[in-house]
Amino acid sequence: MTAPSLAAAPPALTGRRNLEGNEACALGAIRAGCRFFAGYPITPSSEVAETMARELPKVGGTFIQMEDEIASMGAVIGASMGGVTAMTATSGPGFSLKQENLGYACGAEIPCVIVNVMRGGPSTGMPTRPAQGDILQARWGTHGDHAVIVLAPASVGEAYSETIRAVELSETLRVPVVVLLDEVIGHLTETVDLGAVPETPGIARPFATGPREGFLPYAETADLVPPMPRPGDGYRSHCTGLTHGPDGFPTQNPAVAAAALTRTTDKLVLHRARIESWREQATEDADLLIVAIGISARAARQAVKDLRAEGLKVGLFRPVTLWPFPETPLREAVAAAGTRKVLVPEMNQGQLVLEVERVLAGRAEVAGLSRIDGETLTPDEIAGAAREALK
Amino acid sequence: MEIRFSGSGGQGLLLSARILAAALTEAGLTVAQSNAYEPVSRGGLSRSDLVIGEGEADYPLARRLDVLLILDEAAATVSTGLLTPASLVLCDAERVTTPPRGPFRTLCLPFTETARTLGNPRVTNIVALGALTAQASICPPEQLLAAIVAQTPARFERLNREAFAAGLAMGETEPA
Repeated sequence: MTAPSLAAAPPALTGRRNLEGNEACALGAIRAGCRFFAGYPITPSSEVAETMARELPKVGGTFIQMEDEIASMGAVIGASMGGVTAMTATSGPGFSLKQENLGYACGAEIPCVIVNVMRGGPSTGMPTRPAQGDILQARWGTHGDHAVIVLAPASVGEAYSETIRAVELSETLRVPVVVLLDEVIGHLTETVDLGAVPETPGIARPFATGPREGFLPYAETADLVPPMPRPGDGYRSHCTGLTHGPDGFPTQNPAVAAAALTRTTDKLVLHRARIESWREQATEDADLLIVAIGISARAARQAVKDLRAEGLKVGLFRPVTLWPFPETPLREAVAAAGTRKVLVPEMNQGQLVLEVERVLAGRAEVAGLSRIDGETLTPDEIAGAAREALK
Repeated sequence: MEIRFSGSGGQGLLLSARILAAALTEAGLTVAQSNAYEPVSRGGLSRSDLVIGEGEADYPLARRLDVLLILDEAAATVSTGLLTPASLVLCDAERVTTPPRGPFRTLCLPFTETARTLGNPRVTNIVALGALTAQASICPPEQLLAAIVAQTPARFERLNREAFAAGLAMGETEPA
């Protein structure tokens, strides 16, 4: 068995082409070395599975349509424990069903990528209509304190490049990564220049290489990412959802439990610089700053241009890494510009706004702008709210 | 430029938009295509929008339509809010019974009838693409025809060529 690596990946797709967001996720994952996909079709994410079913066999990968969402997540974890880079895709109802197994992956530190294309909810909600109601679920959907990374692409080009980054972060940090799209970005087709997407470094999971004798599968290493034993390499190891110490076996020793749990969350703090990603537009002198993700950020991008043309000092701060939230960069942007007001447009009843309020803690006046009727927030609506706030 | 293809699910609206998007991308433009349809296997309101420009659109969804194509009564009124005095509205003369009227230009053309005469009403969308190409002057007809041939099954090539030519002729007859 060989390590999944970019060496085995097909040549990068290059040049200009029209791609759908969901298709871009699948192609990005394959480019990054993903060779296993298990899923259960669900609108509006089915095209990820459809593309994987078509493309994975061409590169020697495996596609399985499982009997349900829960089993899909289980299969992805199993494949990853077997040493293969694995991904699944789903939408709200399926994302809810996957939470228990996602928690196992968090606890046992199994690399995996979960694409969640958000639709209207709760429950089966509005399957074909867009929403951004899973912002907090993506962070806290599974129970207990846990580390998870959530990336939020706002274009088809980013759906490709951020899924590559999701695989890279997941494999190298041993952490589940959620790629959080909204229905609009998932189903949007855009002309993308894949030649412009930067080449990724070789993505290699840290597999155990040292002596077999006395091997500790969850040893505390300097980078806080314990090398993973690959089946067949002769390492004896134990893997469990129960809280475990360095030897991988369950523990209720308070000191061991606290150290083990803290390491998995400290891991993301230690590697924060590599995980964090955000984009700023016209923030340098912004009286009012808009914070948004996905299609709401695209609407805001237009609104900022329209408002600047009117002479209003408005900027956009867009988290690309949604969780962990880029809190220092946001505080710095607000401080540098002397921003007075912050507007958070989102297609839910106010989720991202809670984090922005927490991060800014009174440094600026924060207000939300919600829409939950299955339609997107438009540039005109955002511009209207911004004008009102600046009055 | 913003173009909407609208009608009833199953009329080939998404395919028409994809064909035009391919032709425009080939011509060096950047396109964003978004679709909306209902959770039914056919029928229901269906539409596909193209936002066309020189680089990635800030906002990839339609705001003010330059061209609106309506192939079924189901879509007759839903897009009126996105029309401006500069908009061009192309309606199917047979299936759209209450075409939008206003300060914009509305043309009702026999897309369905022409497709039926050619032998298959399913090429109504290609007839309409021909008329749209002639009226909106967005892309050389040869480029669009090449995209049609590339994106549709080979066994329908002759029919599609005839449908496109008929639509083009229809659009050229109307004053631009």
